[in-house]
Amino acid sequence: MTAHFAWTRRHILKTSVAGAAAALTAGRATSSLAAPALVKGSKLTYWGGLIFSDKANKLLVDTINKWGADNGIQTEVVMINQNETVQKVSAAVASNTLPDALDLSLDLLMLLSRQGVFHTVDEIFDSLGKAQGGWFPAIASASDTSKVAGGRTGIPYGVSGNLLLRRNDLLSKAGFKNPPTTWEELSQQAAAINKPPLYGLGLALSNVGDGNVQVGVLQSYGGRIADDTGTKAAIKSEATREYLKWVKAAWDKKLFPPGNTTWDGAGDNNAYLAGQAAFIANTGSVGIAAKSQDPELYQATLYSSLPGGPKGVVSATNTNLRAIPKSSKNPDAARALLEFLGSPEFMNAYYEQAIYGPVLQGQSKLKAFTSGDPILSGLLDLVVKGTAPAYPDVYNTAFADAYNNFVVPKMVQRVVIDNWDFDRAMDEAQTVTQSIYDKYK
Amino acid sequence: MTQPRTASPKPRFSAATQDQLFAYGLVLPVVLLLLGLVAYPFFYAIWVSFTNRVVGNDGVFIGLGNFRYLAGSPAFFSAIRNTIVLVVVSDILKLAIGLGLALLVTQKIAGRGLFRSMLMLPWAMPAFVAYLTWRVLYQPIGGGINLVLTQTGIYPEIVDWLGQRQTAMPSVIVAAVWRGFPFWFVSILAALQTIPGELYEAARIDGANAWQRFRAVTWPGIRQVVIITTLLSSIWTANSFEHVWLLTQGGPSDATMVFPVLAYFGMQTQRLGEAAAVSVAMLPVLAILVIFATAMMTSREEQD
Repeated sequence: MTAHFAWTRRHILKTSVAGAAAALTAGRATSSLAAPALVKGSKLTYWGGLIFSDKANKLLVDTINKWGADNGIQTEVVMINQNETVQKVSAAVASNTLPDALDLSLDLLMLLSRQGVFHTVDEIFDSLGKAQGGWFPAIASASDTSKVAGGRTGIPYGVSGNLLLRRNDLLSKAGFKNPPTTWEELSQQAAAINKPPLYGLGLALSNVGDGNVQVGVLQSYGGRIADDTGTKAAIKSEATREYLKWVKAAWDKKLFPPGNTTWDGAGDNNAYLAGQAAFIANTGSVGIAAKSQDPELYQATLYSSLPGGPKGVVSATNTNLRAIPKSSKNPDAARALLEFLGSPEFMNAYYEQAIYGPVLQGQSKLKAFTSGDPILSGLLDLVVKGTAPAYPDVYNTAFADAYNNFVVPKMVQRVVIDNWDFDRAMDEAQTVTQSIYDKYK
Repeated sequence: MTQPRTASPKPRFSAATQDQLFAYGLVLPVVLLLLGLVAYPFFYAIWVSFTNRVVGNDGVFIGLGNFRYLAGSPAFFSAIRNTIVLVVVSDILKLAIGLGLALLVTQKIAGRGLFRSMLMLPWAMPAFVAYLTWRVLYQPIGGGINLVLTQTGIYPEIVDWLGQRQTAMPSVIVAAVWRGFPFWFVSILAALQTIPGELYEAARIDGANAWQRFRAVTWPGIRQVVIITTLLSSIWTANSFEHVWLLTQGGPSDATMVFPVLAYFGMQTQRLGEAAAVSVAMLPVLAILVIFATAMMTSREEQD
């Protein structure tokens, strides 16, 4: 494995497909799993998760097709926009037209695993873990579906989450050399350089995934969505009040860019790239875009982990996985492919182009994460320091429902848009959340 | 030797019945197609709304459980109110603009053909392109509308059109009207062209002024088309997802939440029963709108 780390990036890109295929064909240098029987001429359909990096998307497609050609399997790779995975997979489950293998988020894997949609893949999970220094404990724990599906149904391949991006050029001039470590400090730094049309806090407060960064902020203040049993709403609390005070104060100081209560998924990206926001919380896709579209901005940007509140840092990670539906007509080939895609050769090349943190301990030593790329270093840091999904709340379907109904961003909107007092906003959020949790009793 | 003549068997059905059966046979494929493609999905969606179905699990009958949950949701009541406001206000504006422009281009003016074609452009544009363009126009910073207002001194402050409760719904309505008025325009224009010119001539001879000619000749000639257009437009606007989703995602603070967006949130959580319940709950609202519009139009007709 170390020999591969010494390769140049271009060399790895060029040879990763062929090299990894050869490694697999030559007796599985990367793991010890016995090769399943592959039927020559059989077909395999794969739904890959389309991400912001075209290079990463192409690498995945080419690698799978090359693997298919080397093994006599007819592969068809369909890249699905990750924002549409839920709808497409839901429709495919209903119509029994799932592919032989697919990429999906932990949320969806958990839900469908309860319905018995996927094969268990423990042997691949164990094999890859054994060959590459073991899985990161948080990843292994978060992705464990044993209790609901009788075994593991997903092979993690990447971790995403939010980093804090900041305009170092402006902040250093204002005397802020270090990233803010608390949300209060973030507000102070943001206020110091807030000068419309540049706004300090480019955080979304809208009904999109980015708006749910506020769940982590609330939790870092000690607020909770539900109690420790995961059945009773617990939004209304003094900790939530403190969190709302922080948001309202920042809002009243006009630190948020106008329009952030209705931003779509690209709202913070656009604001940052347009020079309208000094801080944003982002998965790193903005950095990738800035690298090609605005190298000056890219150079002026620094990355750090999300700040914390009185209860510490809450920075939820999201694990992306590969799974094999039970409806697969070629499960053996799908198993072989999943194991192949876990090889360090491919994953190093993939990580270099994608915006994912590692899932296996050995992957942290891959060139992708040791070459000093600020985004990938930040993602590695996120894997080590990030918190499990929902933490400190209980991660269950009720939490996912409340999360997807944007309970916290909507509560904030009541305060900043409708000028409701904190109690009224918390009361409504509490009632709505309780009715969501009641559905799952 | 002659063969004894045998009486030909009496036909099982009379000729009239046979004709009827033949006619039914001819329409049967269409009926089956309609049952399969319209009735089955429609009633199936109603059935699903009474179950706790989630993705991958058919669920069980839970009665009014989904509707009870919806009734307790503030977003549901916002969706009812907003859907009605959106449909009623945008229909009135589309009628006014569509009718006005149709009347204008029936006049003999230079470049009439080009003008007619240009007016169809908003409708020809893909909806998502149209609404994303409007989103850019509404941008608080760098958006076209704010730029015009501030640069010309009409209004010096930057307005967050989509981010404030007072302006969010009007902004959505303006975009929806812009995209939807060409359908009204072309429908009314087609109806106007069926009105014989002699009627206008006779009205003029009788001394009718422009308003009287409109009331006595134009309106009766286009009324039926306006009724149909109102019904279709109401249904399309109420069912339309992309205008609200692309502009505001139902926000801020549910100020623009409408049924299709609410149903989408249900789908996001893979709770198909709940999402179906939102759609089914929309039916009475739509029915009220349609009945109201039809009653209003037909009562006017009777009065006239």
